[in-house]
Amino acid sequence: MAKIVVVTSGKGGVGKTTTSAAFASGLALRGYRTVVIDFDVGLRNLDLIMGCERRVVYDLVNVIQGEAKLQQALIRDKRCESLYVLPTSQTRDKDALTTEGVTAIMDELRKEFDYIVCDSPAGIESGALMALYHADEAIVVTNPEVSSVRDSDRILGILAARSRRAEQGEEPVKEHLLLTRYSPKRVEGGEMLSLEDVKELLHTPLLGVIPESEVILQASNQGIPAVHMDHSDVAEAYKDMVARFLGEERPLRFVQPVKVGFFKRLFGG
Amino acid sequence: MANPPASSAETGAPLRLSGGVFTLSILHLESADPRQLAQRITEERQRHPAAADFHRHAPIVLDLSAIPEEAPLALAEILQVLRAADWFPVGLRNAAPRHQALAQEQHLPILRGQERGIAPHSQPEASPVLAPIAQGSLLIDHPIRGGQRSYARGGDLICLAAVNAGAEIMADGNIHVYGPLRGRALAGVNGQEEARIFCANLEAELVSVAGLYRTLETNHPLWGQAAQIYSRDEQLHIIPLNL
Ligand SMILES: Nc1ncnc2c1ncn2[C@@H]1O[C@H](COP(=O)(O)OP(=O)(O)OP(=O)(O)O)[C@@H](O)[C@H]1O
Ligand SMILES: [Mg+2]
Repeated sequence: MAKIVVVTSGKGGVGKTTTSAAFASGLALRGYRTVVIDFDVGLRNLDLIMGCERRVVYDLVNVIQGEAKLQQALIRDKRCESLYVLPTSQTRDKDALTTEGVTAIMDELRKEFDYIVCDSPAGIESGALMALYHADEAIVVTNPEVSSVRDSDRILGILAARSRRAEQGEEPVKEHLLLTRYSPKRVEGGEMLSLEDVKELLHTPLLGVIPESEVILQASNQGIPAVHMDHSDVAEAYKDMVARFLGEERPLRFVQPVKVGFFKRLFGG
Repeated sequence: MANPPASSAETGAPLRLSGGVFTLSILHLESADPRQLAQRITEERQRHPAAADFHRHAPIVLDLSAIPEEAPLALAEILQVLRAADWFPVGLRNAAPRHQALAQEQHLPILRGQERGIAPHSQPEASPVLAPIAQGSLLIDHPIRGGQRSYARGGDLICLAAVNAGAEIMADGNIHVYGPLRGRALAGVNGQEEARIFCANLEAELVSVAGLYRTLETNHPLWGQAAQIYSRDEQLHIIPLNL
């Protein structure tokens, strides 16, 4: 039976779609049959980050409204055999999703896949609620700043109250914290919250820390999920995070400022 | 069979009727005068805005034990006053037979609480089913997140974890918080002036006892420290909690 994992945050622009793409790709690299679904109706970002935007014919909304079969809307990833993308519509609005429609899709996907990754829209309205409703586990993406931490706290509360598991009195959704866009140097300078600050404020088990890096921009411009950016910090950090999600132990990396060498300091780098 | 012949022609399924037990608040009517009731509600709400806020949109049972049988009862006007105050009257109890007839006109059910005895002014005991106050305290062992609210009705609220910014905890009695208190804490929301707030780490946005409240800034001398908050002489006091 598949596990459903929602990638959510409350606040916008913190790295949910970047993470959904990298995480789903990372699971597929490990051999798991994985599908990643874009719940951000009207904004359609995931297919761009996954580099499959030119192959979108049918989308989530078409399937829900009975205009296409689920198989017609699923796009196989060009890098990983076992990874599929279910894109969303750019022309409809958030109300196009219905609870029954989403439930039917989840039930069908559960039979075929090991992991179903749901890329949530920002906010706490119906789109975000739809994305988190079926979740078994949640990755709460947070940036090291007060407003992002506040919104993550809020979404954690909503997960505990409004998910299917909460409504049916089952075991609660398993929560994971992912700190992204982390810049140890700016933390040291006091411009950003530290990892310890965020952990203390949220009390949620840490799945990983993804450093701030311009590699993310290159990756998204080329439509390559960040785990595939070989030899980069972000690829390594996302691989660590996938490993921890699968129950392996990995030491935290990329949380100390990079020491600038003596010569580099002397001559400017 | 007890089932009514209610099966729908299309689905063939019988109408579902199931039992349920609900906790409802009871309003004890002090006089039969609707204007006096309106005035009392306004006064109370000004005195205890937090409690008022919590009871907004609550279903209410009207208890008539203080209203003598011969008193003329303008029930329609009284219901209007309650609805205007954002309450939903759902029934009457302890009504004299003449008043029960009025309730029927208004499509209000008579709920079985303590039945009115021969002495019309005897003090009614709270019925166990409809008691507005569930006895005992509320123990919370997980963080209370921004946007969440918890209310210990009729008792103390004890939180072993953090109360995060944007969260709100309320109790009719005392509040104890062993994690950092970063949200709002309101003790004695039904007017119990002797209620107190105890916390291991005071970083609250707002504290209140029996309707007196104040907000806090990071420059408060007890910020981040163990503190207790109580009310005396219409003033809120925040003092160190020496453990
Ligand atoms: N680790 C990182 N380092 C640098 N930039 C990043 C990092 N992660 C994400 N970004 C950038 O942040 C922006 C927002 O990322 P993304 O679209 O993944 O966020 P989102 O949470 O899905 O946003 P939305 O709420 O709009 O859906 C993008 O421009 C992305 O390139
Ligand atoms: Mg996104």
